[in-house]
Amino acid sequence: MALTHETTKGPSTLLTSMPRQSIIAVLVLFGALGLAVVMSRTEAILAPLWLLAMAAGFTLQRSRFCFASAFRDLFLFGSSRIMKGILVGLAIATIGFAINMYSKVPFPGFGALPGEANILPVGLSTIVGGLLFGFGMVLSGGCVSGSLYRMAEGYVASWVSMGGILIGLGFLSQTWNWWWQASISHEPTVWIPSKFGLGYGGGVILTLGGLLIAFLLFLWWESRSGLSTPDIPHKKEPDDTLVQKLSILWRSVFVRGWSAVVGGGVLGVIGVLMYMVHMPWGVTGELARFSNTIMSTLNFAPPEALGLSDLGGCSGLSGAGLFTHSFAATVGVLPGSLVGALFASEFKLRFPRNAKRYVQALGGGIIMGYGAGLAIGCTVGAFFSSIPSLSISGWLFALALSCGAFMGVQVIKRIA
Amino acid sequence: MELDVRGEICPYPMLKAVEAMKKLKGTDEVVVFTDHAPCLDTIPPQAGRYGYTYQVEENGGAEWTITLIPKGSM
Repeated sequence: MALTHETTKGPSTLLTSMPRQSIIAVLVLFGALGLAVVMSRTEAILAPLWLLAMAAGFTLQRSRFCFASAFRDLFLFGSSRIMKGILVGLAIATIGFAINMYSKVPFPGFGALPGEANILPVGLSTIVGGLLFGFGMVLSGGCVSGSLYRMAEGYVASWVSMGGILIGLGFLSQTWNWWWQASISHEPTVWIPSKFGLGYGGGVILTLGGLLIAFLLFLWWESRSGLSTPDIPHKKEPDDTLVQKLSILWRSVFVRGWSAVVGGGVLGVIGVLMYMVHMPWGVTGELARFSNTIMSTLNFAPPEALGLSDLGGCSGLSGAGLFTHSFAATVGVLPGSLVGALFASEFKLRFPRNAKRYVQALGGGIIMGYGAGLAIGCTVGAFFSSIPSLSISGWLFALALSCGAFMGVQVIKRIA
Repeated sequence: MELDVRGEICPYPMLKAVEAMKKLKGTDEVVVFTDHAPCLDTIPPQAGRYGYTYQVEENGGAEWTITLIPKGSM
């Protein structure tokens, strides 16, 4: 697949490179669908999880959706563009998750928690995990899901980040028991519907209310920045014939980028569907499992993690064998993003020109991995799937992420 | 001023474009060569902030040229 690197402008270069990447996109798509069939032989539920993860990867790529950018750009550019998308996704997911949790635990006041929901411990682990993750994600140029989708676009630095994430998760795995004894075993899980008789209605209303306040906060924040996109004239594309109409539709989905609000909304829906199939979307658990497997192979297996099996979230304890639920929900992001990139002709092997970026990517990744292991989830599992699970931990993690991201911004500006 | 930020990791393509606009303060164009798609969403709103308008050209091969033009000079 030779890509032209000439920068001649005009439609001819686009036309020669597009069909080639599109053909490969179709091949990758069929390969991934075939893999879904193979996986369903191990367990039927793996196919829908894999397909939903592919849809998530596709959505991340099409809308250039990165949670790291969302937090970072608040401080770096005064922009809340992606944050607004996250809020839309959280709102949709909150409603969907509540309905699903209600079907499993109709009476939240009796102490039972819905099993698969991301209701995580609230305390020092959330704060320290969030600070580390927020800092690391800004340093390395992408969070875990952001790195996954960019790996599939050809960003070599994201592969390095991912290596760092695995290392960081490994370090945490080796030290989990210390954290368990020092703090996590004493940390409560705070599930809103079970408190003060709030129930699901109260939980949803409080959460949506919180999201609304956050939205207004972001609007105010942006008004301080003076952002304004200049009006530029757009040529109206001809849309008379059916072929032209279909072509415009194709391009708006497969070629032009999606807005952050659309991306966030679609991710919210995917999150709900994934939870309905089995569990809320998370990516860190599978990476932790992979990291533990590598360490065991190198005769450096982590000690058995105290208390982890009783906690929800992305713990890496999801069973043996290659094809597990967490495998489908995490690894599926890669082909989904790759298909999106190829159809849009956005796949390109991108090598950082500066050696220090490799160090940033690796170092940031290690810090992120440690933070995600500690918080039992990343911006997906401990935030995007935790707030809709009506768990206070999601909010505290978000706050810690913001602080970590702020600190990260101060550093990256100085190592430009 | 030409800025070739191809290969740069996030957020450096956008950050360098913004620093260029801040430094030039509308005295010159900034022509950004990038292979980082998020630039297409992040740079335009920053342009207005620093007194620039913009133009985007697709070069194919996942590369774009974003020209930042001082307002009032078009």
